[in-house]
This record gives sequence, structure tokens and C-alpha cells, in this order.
Amino acid sequence: MDKISAVIDHERQSAVFPLVCADHCAYLLNYKFSEVATCGQKLAEVLAYGYELYRYDMVLVFSDPYVEAQALGCPITFDPYPTLLGPKSHNRLDRTHEIAEAAQILKNKVDVPIFVSIKGPFSLAAFLGGIEHFLKILLKKEEEAFSLLQEAMQFQNTYLDTLLHLGINIFIGDPLSSSSVISPTIFSKYALDPIKALVQKIKEQGVLAGIHICGDTNPIITTLDTIGADILSVEDITIATRTVRMGGVSTHTILHGNADRITAEVKDALNNRPLIFSTSCDVPPQTNPDSIRTMLQSVREYSGS
Amino acid sequence: MGFENIRKAVIEMDDQKVEQLVHEALGKNCEGIDILDNGLIAGMKEVGKLFARKEYYVPEVLLASEAFYAGFNIINPLIKSSARKPKAKVVMGVVEGDIHDIGKNIVKVMMEASGYQVIDLGRNVPTPRFVESVEKERPTVLALSSLMTTTMVHMGDIISELEKKKLRDTVNVIVGGAPVNEDFAKKIKADGYSPDALSAVQLIERFISG
Repeated sequence: MDKISAVIDHERQSAVFPLVCADHCAYLLNYKFSEVATCGQKLAEVLAYGYELYRYDMVLVFSDPYVEAQALGCPITFDPYPTLLGPKSHNRLDRTHEIAEAAQILKNKVDVPIFVSIKGPFSLAAFLGGIEHFLKILLKKEEEAFSLLQEAMQFQNTYLDTLLHLGINIFIGDPLSSSSVISPTIFSKYALDPIKALVQKIKEQGVLAGIHICGDTNPIITTLDTIGADILSVEDITIATRTVRMGGVSTHTILHGNADRITAEVKDALNNRPLIFSTSCDVPPQTNPDSIRTMLQSVREYSGS
Repeated sequence: MGFENIRKAVIEMDDQKVEQLVHEALGKNCEGIDILDNGLIAGMKEVGKLFARKEYYVPEVLLASEAFYAGFNIINPLIKSSARKPKAKVVMGVVEGDIHDIGKNIVKVMMEASGYQVIDLGRNVPTPRFVESVEKERPTVLALSSLMTTTMVHMGDIISELEKKKLRDTVNVIVGGAPVNEDFAKKIKADGYSPDALSAVQLIERFISG
């Protein structure tokens, strides 16, 4: 059994995966990010490079947060890193098949679980409507907000069918549903049911489901714990949950901290096992590889994983 | 005359009601400055407190800001410049490569509501433009925002450029945004870090009170 599944099944206390994504690997290889984000083979190549370099316990196929939004018509620029330029228009560019191709290549190539990151319908709906506009209509124009959510949900259902057909595990990233942005009441009204439906669909296929929400999740952590996911990747891992937590090292520390600080955060997180040691959000592209190695070594040394 | 109804309409995020009430108050010959201070600004200050206490979140603050500006835009042209001298001048913007400006806009409305003159450079602002603006406007505070780990590095570049141009000592630089924290602010030699709009205003109050 792989280490991630063993932690979920309570047969191990820990595993490790800093949230290394395509941008960090592309940065190390000096690849232009636009080429990586638009080509499944190249995406697989950089992620395989990251895995060989660090040898963590899973691989996350994540190029950028805007894959689905762009497929639905949102303008994106890749220079130097992906940025959402506005709400949906008419210029669609569907990269979902590139993501699926990368996942398939990696599944055949590496010996740890492969997860594909998809967007939570709430965040995707916000991208489609324009983030500020969407946040406003949540309180004033519910019908429009639900309509955008429905469009997001429809797309994610189809996209998920493609990915689940490959037997790939799924991580749902929903940054805009955090309590740094919306209230727990709004979360329950708009964001909860769509995530729940996706998790249920993933679980029915017998693969693993993770949820990643960065920012403050403490006010909604007990709700998140009821969804039925296998993994909760959150910033504050100190609140006990039935679902296995993932995190422990802040993104700021991995980017700016020295070795002592990184090791100290790993040691602090030991009490929160069972845990998949990770960073609280994506590893920034320019992160020093030695910092990631320090994190991995510390986890292996102090948690015995 | 009290302006509790206007204050309440701002807190309740009702832009149309604010507009109507401001027109009514002006029709009764109320002073614009009184409507602003005791109605609109009082309302926005309460919104800031509700946000800090996690009773309001980003959607509520965005809508309350709309309600504030619905009244502010009517009153502002009517107020004589001598009647409302700004407490200090603030230049602000989102650093280059970053177009996420919701947080910056919330800070802006809180600063304007607190009596500061804000020069908003917008989003995706190149480093030289911040430096030029400090040179030209001579603000008390330069407020920098970033939502991405890939762009926050520009905050340090801006401070280095200010040093090179011998402008660093003329301005207090504060930083904010999701990936930024106190340690990062110290590392790039900023004068302060603020996690939210209300504390950004409090930080500036400390600068001007010495």
C-alpha cells in the first residue's frame, strides 16, 4: 500500500508532500511556463522531474488555477505566471485534455499516487463571473450567483468523468470559499453542496478525494470534516478532525525560512499526526530546493516516515 | 442633526438608500462635511470593526463600500477643500504582475473614510511608477499590496529603488496581502505590515502621531 493511502487507512502516522506544482518545477528547469501549462507532455515532464528531485509520497497534477475557467472563456495570461484577466468572454481554450494526458503519463511513470487538482465550483463560478462581482451578487442577486455555480458544476461533472475514467485521485481546490473571504453562512449556502457532490462522485469511483482550501478555515473546519473527503489540506492543522489533515509548514517559511525554522515547524506538527506533512499552499516557484529537501528530511527523521 | 440613518444604511450595504438619504439631508441644508463625517464615515468605521471581528466578510465590505461611495460621490464635490484637510497623503497600489485588487480597494475606502488623501495607482503597477509617484507626491505613506507569492518580491524591489533614489527616508512603506506577513515586512525593510484594512488605518495613525 502506498504511504498516502496508509495514512488515510490509519496504518501509518505520516507521509509527506510539499505542494510542489508545475510552476516550481518549470522554474527549476528554466522552462517558459506558457509552454508547460498548454502541453500535457511537458506538464508531465516537469512534474516527473520534481518527483525525481524530491521523492515525496504523491504527485499533484496542477499547472494553474485557471484551467477550467479558461475552458469556459475566461481570458488568462501566462506571462510570467498564470493570471486571470477577467470574467468569461467568448475565447475558450480547453486545456483539460492536456491535464488528463499529463495525469495518464505520470500514472504510468511514477510509483506514488497521482492526484489531479480541479477547482471547487464556488471558486470557478467566481472566476466566471469576475471575482468582485460574484462576491457582491452572493448577497444581492442570488439567482445570478446560483446560475454561475450551476455552470461551474456542470463543467466540473464532465471534467471529472474524464479524470475518473483514468483512475486518478482528485484534489479539489476552493480558495475563495475560505473564511478569509466569505462567511461560514455563505459557505454553507453556496460552496458546500457542490464540493460534497464532487467528493461523493469521486468516492463512488473508489479513488481518493482531497480538499484544499487556503486561508482561514477554522470557522468551517467541522463542516469540511463532514463532507467525506479523505484529506483536508488546510493552513491550521491543529484542530482535530476525523478526516486526515495535510499541512504543517507555512508557505512563507518554505519560501523565506531557514533550515532551523522549517525543521521547527515540522517538529511542531508532529503532535497533529496522523498527518500528511505539507505546505499550507503551493510551493512558490522561486523556492530554494534545499528548503524543500530540509522539509522532507525533517519529516523522515522526526516522524519516522 | 444626527445622521444615524445614513450611518445605518452604509452598515446595511444599501447604496440606494444612502443616495436618497444624502440628497434629503442636503435638501435640508445640512453641511456636506457633517453628512460625511457623522453618516458615511461613521458607517464605514463600523463596517471596518465588523470586518475585524469577523462579523462581516469580503462580500459585505464590498457592498458597504459601494454604499459609502454612493454618498461620498455626491458630497465630495460640495465640500470646500478648506473644510476637510486630509490627515495625510497615501500613495497605494498593487505591485507589478498582480491584478488582484479587491484587498487594495477595501484598504482604500477605509483610508478615505478615515480622512486620508489616497492616490491610487491601481493594479499591476511597475516599480518605477511607485518611485516616481513618491518623488512627485511626497506622501506620508506608500502602501503596497500583493496577493501572489510570485509578485510579492517586487515589494522589496520598490524599497531598494527608493533607497537608491534617496527617497526611502521620506516615506513610510507598509505592505499587505495574503502571502505577506510581519517577517516578510521586516526582511524587505518595510516600516509596517497590516493584515487587514482596519489595522492598515491604525498603522498609519501611529506613523502620523509619531
